[in-house]
Amino acid sequence: MSVYVTSTGSFLPGPQIGNDEIENILGLVHGKRSRLRERILKANGIRARHYAIDHEHRTTHSNADMGIAAVRNCMAAAPLPLRAVGMLSCATTQGDLVIPGFGSMVQSGLEMSEIELHTTHGICSSATMALKAAFNNLRVGDQSSALVVASELASRLFKNTRYEAAGLDGSPDFDAEFLRWMLSDGAGAWLLETTARGRCPRIDWIRSFSHADAFPVCMSIGTPTDRGDTRTWQDWPTYADAEAAGALLLRQDVRLLENMVKLGVDGALRLIAEGVLDLGRVDHFLCHYSSHHFKSRIYEMLETCGAAVPYEKWYSNLYTRGNTGCASIMIMLDEFLRDGRCRDGETLLCMVPESGRFNTAYVHMTIVEAE
Amino acid sequence: MSTPVAESAAVTLSDLAQQTMRELLRVWFDFERRLARVPIVQRLNAGTFTRDDYLRLLLHMRQQVVEGSRWITRCASSFDREHADVRSIVIGHAQAEHRDYEILERDYVTSGGDLERIRRQRRNPGSEALHGYLMHRASEPNPGGMLGAMWIIEGLGEKMAGDWAARIEETLGASRVGTVFLRYHGGNDGAHMEKLYGLLNRLCSNAGVAADMVVVATVVGRLYALQLEEIDLAWQADSSP
Repeated sequence: MSVYVTSTGSFLPGPQIGNDEIENILGLVHGKRSRLRERILKANGIRARHYAIDHEHRTTHSNADMGIAAVRNCMAAAPLPLRAVGMLSCATTQGDLVIPGFGSMVQSGLEMSEIELHTTHGICSSATMALKAAFNNLRVGDQSSALVVASELASRLFKNTRYEAAGLDGSPDFDAEFLRWMLSDGAGAWLLETTARGRCPRIDWIRSFSHADAFPVCMSIGTPTDRGDTRTWQDWPTYADAEAAGALLLRQDVRLLENMVKLGVDGALRLIAEGVLDLGRVDHFLCHYSSHHFKSRIYEMLETCGAAVPYEKWYSNLYTRGNTGCASIMIMLDEFLRDGRCRDGETLLCMVPESGRFNTAYVHMTIVEAE
Repeated sequence: MSTPVAESAAVTLSDLAQQTMRELLRVWFDFERRLARVPIVQRLNAGTFTRDDYLRLLLHMRQQVVEGSRWITRCASSFDREHADVRSIVIGHAQAEHRDYEILERDYVTSGGDLERIRRQRRNPGSEALHGYLMHRASEPNPGGMLGAMWIIEGLGEKMAGDWAARIEETLGASRVGTVFLRYHGGNDGAHMEKLYGLLNRLCSNAGVAADMVVVATVVGRLYALQLEEIDLAWQADSSP
């Protein structure tokens, strides 16, 4: 059974936020301007982003609200009514509630009845996990349609008050501050069906390779500032104690990040060796690189062994939509398809490397024209 | 970055050389993941690496560095006159590295180790297997597959200089340890890699040799990882670093 993406939608909260406005919204830690800001922004190349919090740190849209809005946007142009969709498969890094699963909250907001529900837990690659579950569900014939939703509300983690509560004294802490300049908010939704409609992408395959066995944690929430302390966030007597120890800060071990490039290339080479992927026949390469810096690193490594994808085939809206974690690839395809860039028979490769503990996912699609 | 392809190749590779490069890259990535699972490397990555760990690392690497120039020179002498150009490059490479172990010994002493102790150290089982395999393959006529061994060992030089040296200095204090060997080795290897790309093109005129490179690279990676795994096992048998 073939599976097609018959509609897409996205939602980006509030106005576009330029780089100079970031600290006006997230706040100054101990009243001081960040000394790392310029350096990190220069490397990631992001010029604009969106936040679901305002300058007084009020949440303007919950994470579920954004997922719901993306679905509404997706279904506005969809060929079937929402009530006919059989499955909802949702991804997020952190839902509004710790439990139940994020999908339950999105389902409730959408008033979808008696559907099959799936929620994935992870970081950037969790959207491809949610996508694969829906893809397989349709392939085996259990459902004929599914909505895949990915939504992220990272900005709540970046309020100046979080850093102050964690006892950071205002001096630069690269690992704790790095993602503050990288991540922002937004949601994307794709409708999957077993029937092609109009000109739409057919999903050919989805593959991923996880390397958590070989590498330390690279992006996380839950460990304290003191690296020698092996406790995780629920091991303190109170959550306030955990926060004071820095165990609720989002961190990135920046030194390990280059591994993402290698593992991204490794997975591609593995798929080439298996005969699954032919990079020479990829017409559009939608790559979720978190930072512009990584684009050339991936390109150069592939180029050395004659497997480069020419830059004119690369597509990314990182620079204007920001890095919205697992929602990025969803928002990216939505914008790409709306731009009307592709023709019948062209192929798309989506690549989503996740630094959490190193997972890389690949989605291959072919544009088809329904008869 | 610690990958053999850190510098983009100035040489344009043939189709077979590119295909071989893709395979060698995958072998390298697999080797890096194997290294990351080795206990002493796990401690290095986790920031729990101690000065004794560093002394043990040097102690167990010395034999392989001493023997390194031997297999490279053996390799050079196994190329016949049809491969005189290859032989010249390999001889140059052996010349550049054949006394690297003296730098390593100085680092060992700077870091608080005893010179007599490191000179006394025998090959661990991993080093024994690695050395035996390298000498065996280097002794075969026209051992083009040995480029796979150079791929792994040169790549590791880059990795030590790019990742390990800084991590060790950060963890142990730069003034308290000597990391000249780790750094010097990497600094040299960029130029070595250029030569390696040239050799890859030259030797990949034959599909058999190309396939052999991948086999040798795979085995050398496995045995190198074994050599480092043995550090923790030997440590239990002889606790003095």
